[in-house]
Amino acid sequence: MILLIFVFTITLSSCKKTNYEIPFILYDEEDLFMMSFRDSIFLHNSSDITFKMYDSTNSQIIQNEIINGVLLDSPKLIIVNPVDRLGAYTIIEKSKLTDTPIIFINREPLAEDLLSWDKVYYVGAKPEQSAIYQAELVMELFGSNPNNLNNYDLNGDGKIQCIILKGQEGHQDAEIRTEAVVNEMEENGYDLEILKIESADFRTSVAFDVMNELLPIYRDQIEVIFSNNDAMAIGAINALKEDGFFTDDNEDGKVDSNIDNWIPVVGIDGIAEAIQLIEDGYLYGTVINDSESMAKAVIELSSAIFNNEDPETISYPILYGKYIWIDYKKYSLPIFEE
Amino acid sequence: MKIFREFSIKQNIVIAMMTISIIVILLSSFAYYFIFNSSMNDIVESSSKEINKQIIFNYENYINDVLNTARQIQKDTIRYDIATSKSELQDIYNKSVKVNENTISIVLLGLDGNIILSSDNDASQNTYLEEKDWFENALLDYSIFYFSSPHTQNVFRDGSSKVISVSKVISYIVNGEKRNAVLLIDISTEMIVDLSDHTNLGEGGHIVILNDDDSLIYSSIASCYNDTCESISIAKEIIIGGSYVIVDDIKMYASVNTLNATRWRIATFSNVEILNSSRTNMFIILSLIMIVTVSVVFYFANIITRRITSPLNKLNKHMLEIQENGELYSPLKVEGQKEIIYLSKAFNNMIVEIRRLMERVLREQKEKRKTEFIALQTQINPHFLYNTLDSIIWLSENKMNEQVVEMIVALSKYFRTSISQGKTIITAEEELEHARNYLLIQKIRYSSKFDYAFEIDEEILKVNAVKLILQPLIENAIYHGISSDEDGIIIIKAYQSDGLMVFEVENNGYGLTESQIEDIYLNMKSKIKNTSIGLKNIYQRLKLYYGDTANLEIISELDEKTIVRLTYPMKAQVK
Repeated sequence: MILLIFVFTITLSSCKKTNYEIPFILYDEEDLFMMSFRDSIFLHNSSDITFKMYDSTNSQIIQNEIINGVLLDSPKLIIVNPVDRLGAYTIIEKSKLTDTPIIFINREPLAEDLLSWDKVYYVGAKPEQSAIYQAELVMELFGSNPNNLNNYDLNGDGKIQCIILKGQEGHQDAEIRTEAVVNEMEENGYDLEILKIESADFRTSVAFDVMNELLPIYRDQIEVIFSNNDAMAIGAINALKEDGFFTDDNEDGKVDSNIDNWIPVVGIDGIAEAIQLIEDGYLYGTVINDSESMAKAVIELSSAIFNNEDPETISYPILYGKYIWIDYKKYSLPIFEE
Repeated sequence: MKIFREFSIKQNIVIAMMTISIIVILLSSFAYYFIFNSSMNDIVESSSKEINKQIIFNYENYINDVLNTARQIQKDTIRYDIATSKSELQDIYNKSVKVNENTISIVLLGLDGNIILSSDNDASQNTYLEEKDWFENALLDYSIFYFSSPHTQNVFRDGSSKVISVSKVISYIVNGEKRNAVLLIDISTEMIVDLSDHTNLGEGGHIVILNDDDSLIYSSIASCYNDTCESISIAKEIIIGGSYVIVDDIKMYASVNTLNATRWRIATFSNVEILNSSRTNMFIILSLIMIVTVSVVFYFANIITRRITSPLNKLNKHMLEIQENGELYSPLKVEGQKEIIYLSKAFNNMIVEIRRLMERVLREQKEKRKTEFIALQTQINPHFLYNTLDSIIWLSENKMNEQVVEMIVALSKYFRTSISQGKTIITAEEELEHARNYLLIQKIRYSSKFDYAFEIDEEILKVNAVKLILQPLIENAIYHGISSDEDGIIIIKAYQSDGLMVFEVENNGYGLTESQIEDIYLNMKSKIKNTSIGLKNIYQRLKLYYGDTANLEIISELDEKTIVRLTYPMKAQVK
């Protein structure tokens, strides 16, 4: 009998618990950035709410199924990292039926969709900003004066010869980052000579192969490598190391950016491996997609919605009652000028 | 329970077996049916979802092809300066159109709606292209490719056929200056039709593609182009996800999902009537199993119960015959189960026993009558009467009037007790009185050659006794137990001992030897007729009336005394 009551209480309490859980639907758990974002969520969550993670395995169909499933439990809100930003309107329509607020993260749905309901929010970073920051890192490297480039202009022609490693073709981030970094450089008066724009699918291994193809052609001309993300930057550095760049003379696993065969590579995202590479002197810099701040903003916003408080009272500004923009952060090696 | 008692064994067994089998079959059928049903549902649901995925996958592949072409053109467009390298670009556009047969035209339009480049040389320029949906929507969001609803693009060649316009704002270079323009790729709606044709959605299954405003992009059934289409409203209602629905009286599984890179939703309706038909089949099969099993059970229950009840019925019939006709001589012959055979054997034994008892009762009755008759016969012995009368005459002649009166009174009482209105059982008092009368008569007759005494326990006076059991013993004592040379004495005792009634007749004659006593016992117990009627008659009557505990003993001491002792249970039920 006592056992029965015990079991009953456990079931009851576990039922209660599920009601307090907020479904957190990731587009792909294997994504490095989403991994660190998820970890940040658990690390920084000191509020009374708990999150339950779901993995859409990069399939909108699976994500749709997950959403249909979690809405049946009538959660107080759901957090969705959409697989396909264009399909987000269906998620909004579906949530309207049960009056469940949604926080979209990391992939921005169309503005018209976000504006179609007042209980939809977006927390994320502006993709253009990452490109602008990336461009700024490179500008700083080259002396911050477009008319007088420093010694990183290896051939001294006043132009910056570059290779751009682009993400997956058609991917919004890839398109915007590629376009914006070029625009930003040009708008600031830098003369950018693009040796090659090559897609490496956001992946380290593909970037490694792409660089191995490009190096025989451009190895003496490259002055900087822009990469749409850190993973491809790592692939490029691996290829460069094999080709004789980045010699580690004292074999302490670190290189000095002053050496002759050092080539600046810049990434975006700020994944742990990239940070390590910067600390070891291989990677010049990266633009950190601030998963910590983003996680904090999501936690605060979720908590406010969960407790029926006014979302505007949280410590992050909400633009148009919809958007919480998280700033990227620049992170790079100190620059040595001769 | 009361109801069941009113049924026969056969009915009870048949009803029980039928009930049990029906319950078992019903339970297992229900369980099986539900398990079957739910797993069938799961299978149908997952296969419907799988088909939906496959269809979406096909469309996405195609759309990715279109988008790849578009991105390639976007990349190529920005590589050339239109002012100086228009022909190269024109070449790329022309070639790109031919890569896919469903691509009808690729056009680059300025933001004012003027055609900059076109794969279609016949394009006319006099319509307001900048007012078209695909143009305006492309300008809304530069980052996406816009997919239009099917429409007729009457500006270009083949203007009669319907096309889907894919449009996006891209950059191009004029004299080194970067400008925005709208890229338009028209693809034939044939591709949607082709892709939907290869799907297996079953009889009546169909596809509906909706735009983000729930307007119809495409339907594989014509009826959806009219105003009333159930499928469209179902897809609208579901938004995304799946559920069982009824379309045109057919059960379908509707599955709605978004199509990547577009704002479209594809709703697939797959026929799941197979669910109903298999359910019906299952129902029929289960019903058949039930009917067959129940009839088999009914049949066997009948056979088994018949084997049990038919011998019982036979037994019953036999008993009735016995009851009505008293027929006890034909033994019952029954075949069947062990229990039944034991029962009939026991019954037969019982009948035999009854028969034996009846015969015994008859025989005993006969014996009683006979022994009684003999007893009476000895009482009313004419010699005794003549002798007594002679004595009375002798007494009268000698003027012994007192003795005459005494003798006649005794004689009269003696005979009255002997006859005693035909009763066989009298009280011990009456029997003792009878003995006293007899002794009185004999004493007068034998002129006091002997003397006699009574020792009687007063409490036994009302105990019953078979009449005429003392007189023959006294008669023996007088004739054989009194020696001529000394005075004989006869003592009659009546008392109780350990619940037994005891009569003793004692004399002080010569006595009997052991072997003489043995002979008397043998005579008494044998069935052969012999001269010693008196003792044997008493012995038989004691046994007949009081059963085996009654006894007759002879105890003798030579030259001292001889005692004949009768014992029988005081409270014995007299037979």
